[in-house]
Amino acid sequence: MTAKVRFINQVTKALGRTKIIRPKENYATAIFEDRNLASSKAAQALEDAKAMTTTLIDQMVESADEAGWKVHRTDNFEESAELIVSICETHRAKFVLRSAHSVLTDIPLDSALSASGTVLEITEHSSKGSNQQIEKSKSAAFNADVGITGVDYAIAETGTVVLHPRAGVSRLLSLAPPTHIAVLRPGDVLASLDELFAIQRGDFLNGKLQGSMNLISGPSKTADIEGTTVTGIHGPLEVHLIIVENDQY
Amino acid sequence: MKPLTINFRSKAAQTIGDEQVQNSLEHVYTGFYRGRLNAAADTHNWEELRTKGKAIKDHTIAHLDHYLEMFSEKVEENGGNVFFADNADEARQYITELATDRDIETVIKSKSMVSEEMALAENMNESGFETIETDLGEYIIQLAGETPYHLIAPAVHKSRKDVAELLDKDFADGDRVPDATELTMLARKQLRDVFARADMSVTGVNFAVAESGSIVLVTNEGNGRMSTSVPRVHVAVMGMEKIIPSIQDLSTMLRILIRSATGQRISTYVTMVNGPKTPDEEEGPEEFHVVIMNNGRHKLLKDPFLRESLNCIRCGACLNACPVYRKVGGHAYGWVYPGPIGAIVTPVITGLKDANNLPAASSLCGACHEACPVKINIPRMLLELRHKTAEGSSDPNERTSKFAERAIWKAWRTGMMGRGRFDWGARLAYLLMRPFSINGWIKKAPPPISGWTLSRDFPLIAGESLKSRLNRRRKKDI
Repeated sequence: MTAKVRFINQVTKALGRTKIIRPKENYATAIFEDRNLASSKAAQALEDAKAMTTTLIDQMVESADEAGWKVHRTDNFEESAELIVSICETHRAKFVLRSAHSVLTDIPLDSALSASGTVLEITEHSSKGSNQQIEKSKSAAFNADVGITGVDYAIAETGTVVLHPRAGVSRLLSLAPPTHIAVLRPGDVLASLDELFAIQRGDFLNGKLQGSMNLISGPSKTADIEGTTVTGIHGPLEVHLIIVENDQY
Repeated sequence: MKPLTINFRSKAAQTIGDEQVQNSLEHVYTGFYRGRLNAAADTHNWEELRTKGKAIKDHTIAHLDHYLEMFSEKVEENGGNVFFADNADEARQYITELATDRDIETVIKSKSMVSEEMALAENMNESGFETIETDLGEYIIQLAGETPYHLIAPAVHKSRKDVAELLDKDFADGDRVPDATELTMLARKQLRDVFARADMSVTGVNFAVAESGSIVLVTNEGNGRMSTSVPRVHVAVMGMEKIIPSIQDLSTMLRILIRSATGQRISTYVTMVNGPKTPDEEEGPEEFHVVIMNNGRHKLLKDPFLRESLNCIRCGACLNACPVYRKVGGHAYGWVYPGPIGAIVTPVITGLKDANNLPAASSLCGACHEACPVKINIPRMLLELRHKTAEGSSDPNERTSKFAERAIWKAWRTGMMGRGRFDWGARLAYLLMRPFSINGWIKKAPPPISGWTLSRDFPLIAGESLKSRLNRRRKKDI
């Protein structure tokens, strides 16, 4: 008998049964909702995000501010680029790392940054996971002064930025550099955690769940010394959220 | 971790007499307790969320075997490994062997109460792996060579001065005590170096999603994210009760957990891991292991009165609400889990015999029940454990009541069951008690019952029963 079988048998026995029985449907958990229902809930969540953009953006601004983001609303691509450059200059950033999010190629960021004399590197998948490549990518993230990413989804309820690490979106980019700048497109703001997990569940049941997901709500913080809140214990000390309210979005 | 529950009274007395620790414990009330109340008041459907959270956990625990099987199959499908550990030794052995096999040098640990059950960091260090706690509170505790004081704030009892001395002896020199920001930045610097060279991580699990084989970590500091990004091997350790069925259930569970733990609407980071790094990712752990541990939890599961304690999501709200915890502190409870929930879990897992003071250390005021985000009826279970203590158990290793105690109750029962025996007993008690009484009250009883009169007086039993007094009066009247 394997360790697993023995372990689960003991649980079954403790539950007063002799074999595993299938649970009856229960209102509280979503596991009994089938793929069609889950898919339509996910589609609805995405539709709502587009339909209520203005309201959701206003809520997002408020709750992100509460969570500790420095929130900026910009009217166009150029303004966003200038703002990012000025944040980098404030921090005297010499080395800036950015993700391969498409929003960062929409705004004329690369040219603006290089004009300001900053070294910019883009995290793009170059070689198939050689150890050398992994080490290089890690050390870039630990050495960068500023990390710039897009936003996969935002959550208005909590002021949260959601990022799925993947090719071109490194796990450390939004964590290791002392300053993180996240650039948000207005249509990607969801109302609450309900909508986010509805989308995740829809993705899962359709075989499209991504490898991992990070919800980020403000700067890294701790209150472990005498209950005093201090920002920047392991992650960024300062986080900026830039909302690009361009007509094209 | 070796249980030290037997020292409850002395540890509690020590904490109550320590002014500095008493001041530190104040934060548990002003910070966490009030924070939770505010967060609950700000959430329009708070009671609905609690009811739903309880229903999700009730359902999952009632079908734990089914969901454990589903979860482990999914983790393996996603390219991870699952190890089922019956006890802490097995779990620790698996992790240590894995580290040896993979030529690991440095292990970073995120906060995990389950790993405390295995005393993992201590043991890994002894086995020659540099193992560092990365949650700031846990890091401080590790430097001090202690155990966590609180589920959420492990170093809540340490002052800035203590922390300064622990982080860097030179830093604490002179009269000036560094502020919290300076100390945090110093720790950041020290731990950054550790992160950069770590090749394995051990994290806890806040929720394990059965349908997708995902694990979810909730942190404010970001050490959980470092642990799931930097090292090439990631080991997540969990108690078997951490399962929830569906991804969608996370929205309910995260809301109640975080609001109840710190009063935040959400923690800074919530990380969901669905397996090892994907092939096209630049970095991230290439290996993902989940260790699911029983370690006596089946005893809680088996007992219909205590099963509900497995609904616990380890938010610490009951600790913050508990007037006893806020005075006696976390170390008095003598094992990994302090406070009201610890008073249930610890005696069952480590043995009621040495831990019978724990369920007794409660005024049954109900504050823990009221605070619990999944509505665990802690006072009811404390009573159940007291009942077990008084009744004793058929298992001599678990037997808690002493022979003398059982003999006294037996004598009491015999005495109470007949009028003559009762009168005779009452008379005897009167004669025995009289020498110790002043004006009808015993202010200071002799040993072994001297403890009883420490804080209250005992009335002297009447020398004559009501019945005999009435009889006497009636005779006089005639």
